[in-house]
Amino acid sequence: MNRRMPEPSPDQAQDAPYARMLENCLTGELRLVNAGLPRSRKPLSHLLCEEHPHVICNDGSTHSFKRKELEYLASVLDKDEQEALLLPILIEIGASQGEAAVLALSGVEGELEVKVASNVLNMSVTSDQGRIRIYKSQLALLRTKLKTATVYVFSPATIT
Amino acid sequence: MPQLIRVRPTKIELIKLKRRLALARRVQKIVKDRLSILTMELLQTARETTEAKNKLLDELSQLYRALSIAAGYHGYLALDKELIATEADLKIAVGSRNVAGVRIPSFEPANGQEGFKTYSLSDTSSWFDHAAQLSQACLKSIVELAELQRSFELLAMEISRTKRIANALEYVVIPGLQTTISYLNMKFEERDREEKARLKRVKVLVARE
Repeated sequence: MNRRMPEPSPDQAQDAPYARMLENCLTGELRLVNAGLPRSRKPLSHLLCEEHPHVICNDGSTHSFKRKELEYLASVLDKDEQEALLLPILIEIGASQGEAAVLALSGVEGELEVKVASNVLNMSVTSDQGRIRIYKSQLALLRTKLKTATVYVFSPATIT
Repeated sequence: MPQLIRVRPTKIELIKLKRRLALARRVQKIVKDRLSILTMELLQTARETTEAKNKLLDELSQLYRALSIAAGYHGYLALDKELIATEADLKIAVGSRNVAGVRIPSFEPANGQEGFKTYSLSDTSSWFDHAAQLSQACLKSIVELAELQRSFELLAMEISRTKRIANALEYVVIPGLQTTISYLNMKFEERDREEKARLKRVKVLVARE
């Protein structure tokens, strides 16, 4: 069968600068999603002592914490745990469909994040390879109670 | 129908296009994840805004009732005099937080303002105290509502922007790249076939001679 291939006509075709701009826009989008990540995390006990508790983000902006949330976390944890829990808690998105993962990095095998998540969700959770897997509905509950004490991370596995 | 991208039909261009397609697919996944997170946050904020608005309306109605009673008890002139004395600057700690790439303002009433009474306690009654307490609660609710409403606006704007990007990727960029890649592949196959046919023809001509 003799099939004739379509030739790109000048009016249909896109210009190279436009494609470049599009590519820049796409890479900009990648940079934007994780720009709000903290440069370094602070222990809960330090944040409780600050007048305006905050951390500095990757893009140079500040991420402020609500005192009410810090006090809630302090009520859940004892003194040593307050010293060890680093804030904000990171929530990884995009690891798999319909799920999110709280990165459990503080304490022994992330026991502090497990304790906090168990208290907030009112159910026992476990960490698996430094991650507490939660469903989107549980994520909404977690975010309602800890709006400023948690931040989203878009999984490096999907970004590389 | 997806538009073809004007490129030179070379292998290098094909490789570049394939790379661009892989990038576009990765970005599409992130944009979709981000969109779902932003939508979840927007719905949550909408719910909280409604609750905060209802709470504020309740508190305001209670405050007006308390003020009416206080006005009836003290008289308007005395109440005005005491209200002037209660005027104070509202101190709010303003910060910001990041929700999936959206900077959202965070307002918090500064500490040390509660329980400080600037009016005369001897000249006023408990009705006035009650009204003052309710007005403090109203101020807190107003600040909370302001934060929620601004968050709602910012999230809604970002969702509409992200949706445009997601749609552009899904319906324009990725189909365009796929069409161009398949066009280039067909072009190379055709070139191969032409080459083969030419060689056969040359072989026949050489054999004839």
